[in-house]
Amino acid sequence: MPTVATLNLQDKNTFADWRTFLTSLDIHNFQENELTTIDLTIGIYDEAGKLVATGSIAGNILKYIGVCNKDSAKGTYFNTIISELMNHLAQQGIFHLFVFTKLKYAQSFQHVGFHQLAHTTEGALLETGDTNVSTYVQSIPRIADQDKKAIASIVMNANPFTLGHRYLVETAAKANDLVYVFVVNNDVSLFPTAARLQLVQEGTSDLKNVQVVNGADYMVSYATFPAYFLPTPDAAIKYQTTLDARIFKHQIAPALNIRKRYLGSEPLSRTTDIYNQTLKKELPPEIQVVVIPRLTGSTNQVITATQVRQAIRTGQLATIEASVPATTFTFIKSNLQKLQQRIQKGMNIDGN
Amino acid sequence: MEIKQTALAGTLESSDIQIMLSKGADGIKINLDSDVKKQFGTQITAVITEVLQKFEIENANVKAVDKGALDCVIKARTIAAAQRALGTTDKPAWEVL
Repeated sequence: MPTVATLNLQDKNTFADWRTFLTSLDIHNFQENELTTIDLTIGIYDEAGKLVATGSIAGNILKYIGVCNKDSAKGTYFNTIISELMNHLAQQGIFHLFVFTKLKYAQSFQHVGFHQLAHTTEGALLETGDTNVSTYVQSIPRIADQDKKAIASIVMNANPFTLGHRYLVETAAKANDLVYVFVVNNDVSLFPTAARLQLVQEGTSDLKNVQVVNGADYMVSYATFPAYFLPTPDAAIKYQTTLDARIFKHQIAPALNIRKRYLGSEPLSRTTDIYNQTLKKELPPEIQVVVIPRLTGSTNQVITATQVRQAIRTGQLATIEASVPATTFTFIKSNLQKLQQRIQKGMNIDGN
Repeated sequence: MEIKQTALAGTLESSDIQIMLSKGADGIKINLDSDVKKQFGTQITAVITEVLQKFEIENANVKAVDKGALDCVIKARTIAAAQRALGTTDKPAWEVL
């Protein structure tokens, strides 16, 4: 009987064995930042003690799924791996999961209940679980006759919400009947998700046609676009941003009648700049991409959330008072110590 | 009975069925994946529905991935999922069994 076991990748021999096995299946990305996110790896060993299947979990994402079907009925090992991983996640209360996979394996996942969100020539993104993209879209508030109205959208991390963000929202609000502001959900930024959402809501509360929505797992998340949070080569960023854009275009926008997506021009961040290029390539003609030049502050510099975070580190809040709405400034003042502690504990503030 | 949390029972192994039970708002909704859906889809759905009704669950979303399970297996897996979802695993539901 083949046996299922937990693999300790910290062990050199186990790791080498595992890596050789995956390499033989054409999986080659073993970058440090991919490996450190892994929470659990399991494997199946045959009677001879040879590794014949493996799979890993990182948060709610399945990774490094590899199966050798030479000596088994087709699909047996694959199904065992997926089902073991799902049970592990279920015990932690995680029921909604994602997988990035090569196109040729997408069908195997669909065969065990996964639903494909988007694909490119390089790979596909699928999800399964107790919620999915259609329940998410249904949960988003709507206005009367939305199908006949001009609906626009913005996706932002807002870490934290600055006057630059505010300017982008305002510009979109003036030109449309309704603007959805999707706030990135992943809690890996200096400002926790709840705070970022709250500051966007407070900072736009006077704009009656703005609806602030949590972007969940579908917009710039660890599932759709991990490179936003991790240093990544350009090719991977292009692939991930393409998936992210296609999910937005095909799964999110149609049901909400979103016809425009507003972006801030991106002079500073390479990752975001590639993202903007991809959106311009992928979204039209169904969704028009509107690029708004960045708002410049009093000193003629563009306003960025990165500067705000740096000022928090140094404690020189006076330098940023003019760059953020009063609501954000009050929040920073009253939470300064907590934020500084997070930076001291190693929170990266120079990324996105 | 109200579902308290999402629950999972069963596996994707041959002859088994994986049942994921979560809160619903609109009756019992079953999403079934099965190679034999054409032949046995109605029967599988009926077995699941019957168990849930015995637990007096009125609203639920069920995601079922069938790998050729017999009725007794479908029943057992649905009971396990229901008890986990209701938070009553410490109290066997004899009347349902």
